Amino acid sequence: MKKGFPLVSTIIVIISALFFLVPLYATFQFSLQALRGQLSFEAYNVVFADPRFLSTVSFSIIASAAAIVLGSIVVVPTAYWVRLKLPKFRPVIEFITLLPLIVPPIVLVFGYIRLYGSNSMLPLLNDDLGTNLLLVIGYVVLSLPYMYRSIDNGLSVIDIATLTEAAEILGASRLRTIWEVIFPNVRSAIVSGAFLTFSISFGEFVLASLLDRDAFGPYLVLIGEDLAYEPAALATMSFALTWGMMILMQLFASRKPGQRLLSRKSPPTAIAPAQKAAA
Amino acid sequence: MSFLSISGVTKSFGANMVVKGFDLSVDRGEFVSFLGPSGCGKTTVLRMVAGFEQPTSGRIVVDGKEITHLAPNKRNIGMVFQAYALFPNMTVFGNVAFGLKIAGMQKPDIETRVTEMLKLIGLEQLADRYPYQMSGGQQQRVALARALAPKPQVLLLDEPLSALDAKIRVSLREEIRDIQKKLGITTIFVTHDQEEALSISDRLVVMHAGVADQIGTPFEVYNRPATQFVANFVGTLNTFPVTVEDPAGGRVSMNGITFALAEAIPAPRGASITLAVRPESVQFGAVPGCDVVLPATIEQVHFQGSVIRLRAKAGSLNLSLDTFNRPDSPPPAVGSTSPISLSAKELIILSV
Repeated sequence: MKKGFPLVSTIIVIISALFFLVPLYATFQFSLQALRGQLSFEAYNVVFADPRFLSTVSFSIIASAAAIVLGSIVVVPTAYWVRLKLPKFRPVIEFITLLPLIVPPIVLVFGYIRLYGSNSMLPLLNDDLGTNLLLVIGYVVLSLPYMYRSIDNGLSVIDIATLTEAAEILGASRLRTIWEVIFPNVRSAIVSGAFLTFSISFGEFVLASLLDRDAFGPYLVLIGEDLAYEPAALATMSFALTWGMMILMQLFASRKPGQRLLSRKSPPTAIAPAQKAAA
Repeated sequence: MSFLSISGVTKSFGANMVVKGFDLSVDRGEFVSFLGPSGCGKTTVLRMVAGFEQPTSGRIVVDGKEITHLAPNKRNIGMVFQAYALFPNMTVFGNVAFGLKIAGMQKPDIETRVTEMLKLIGLEQLADRYPYQMSGGQQQRVALARALAPKPQVLLLDEPLSALDAKIRVSLREEIRDIQKKLGITTIFVTHDQEEALSISDRLVVMHAGVADQIGTPFEVYNRPATQFVANFVGTLNTFPVTVEDPAGGRVSMNGITFALAEAIPAPRGASITLAVRPESVQFGAVPGCDVVLPATIEQVHFQGSVIRLRAKAGSLNLSLDTFNRPDSPPPAVGSTSPISLSAKELIILSV
């Protein structure tokens, strides 16, 4: 039996697609109009020629990568421990990880400035290294809801209690169990959490601006104040980057151990964490 | 001197006492099964030997060394889990090598040992496979190889066959027993399947409500159950009441027939006691040499292949009896009448 054409759902999909794609297309088209009367990549050339573009982008990439590493080092053992030993506290921890969605980043950063200012016990803001560290820690906090959820989901798929016992009876210490058994088995969850962390921190403005870091977010805003076409070009590029991240996330998240990337076609089994986070 | 000794071990979870004074001595190379229904404490005892649970009181000693409060990773004990618990991120080789790597073995030595173990379980051609690419039976064999690779002092098997289908279960249990004998490794096997326990163990421990009801060879436990629970749990049993006529001579009467048991009865004359008999001890037809012959009506016939189980009614008595299948004589018809016979010496006194 053949089903009829799903008219209503198709219309809904088209409308929502337009809702997302039209502004995007408009931005892209606008970014191509830097030269009067013709379409060109002039705005992109200007952007790439600006040394501040490269320096802020590389700063943001490094800061985001650091946030990913620090985030997984903090979140994986925490989520693991909570599931293994303190299952009663899971709702509490979940609530704590959701706080960054409730408390705005501006509050967070003012808290940091007050706590770690020059007259504090731990004056992290006195030098560049300390401030950069604070920025990375802030990024970890901002990405906590996504990182924790993604890793917690990853842990729910494997039987961590039995795997831990199996590793332990073979002589492994707790640390070794986490490193050799738990980490590799939630790798795809870490990867998807990592890409989300990256998308959040890469263009982040509030923390970077108030901590006075030369990051991509503040640069974007600065350019937006002075120029017309270049911000559109930047926005288009950062969209492309985010989407690229999403695609990579899908590829990594659906990969099984021992399978090479793209070597075999397998249906993506895991739900993209982006969809989960958005839900 | 026993190799593994568990003495006076109790375990409480809050107010709930799940193991109550458990004692067991296991000799080196012995295969002991813990048999009991779920919730009887058998897995808890096993987990205390592994170190995953701490006994509330009591001692566990392996080879003269007390391990009661030692961490699991310091015990040199191998364990196979019901859910396989292979590391999904590692190949078969990686899984088997894991314990050796932790023990700090050199690479060439690890390779030799892993190959040896894979040969032992007959899966050397699957060394590069990942767990998700294998069947349950294969995964469980790898889990066995992984547990045995670091040469543990004791091997613990926690219902390793429960997740497998019937055919694999039988073949794998024989394989486990063969490997265990070949290596001479002291083994504790936890199961709720009596057939499994009876067929592969040197000795069984029948557990019930946190207590070891009976410890003995499968033959002893099956033929001389120590408690009513063991009698009912292990195998099928017919029970019926009789009246004591002569305690010292073991004479009892039932339905007007008097016969003598193999032993004296610890109950006064005129008392009512319960006797039990295995279905295979009851015979179809009037068999010469049997001292109890009862007229009976066949009520049910279950053809099970090599064995035919009949259900017969003799007066107020319902009895199950087994006869072997013979191609030349079809099983009796339901509703037909025939005498059934049993030998009084094979009767077990269950409760006095």
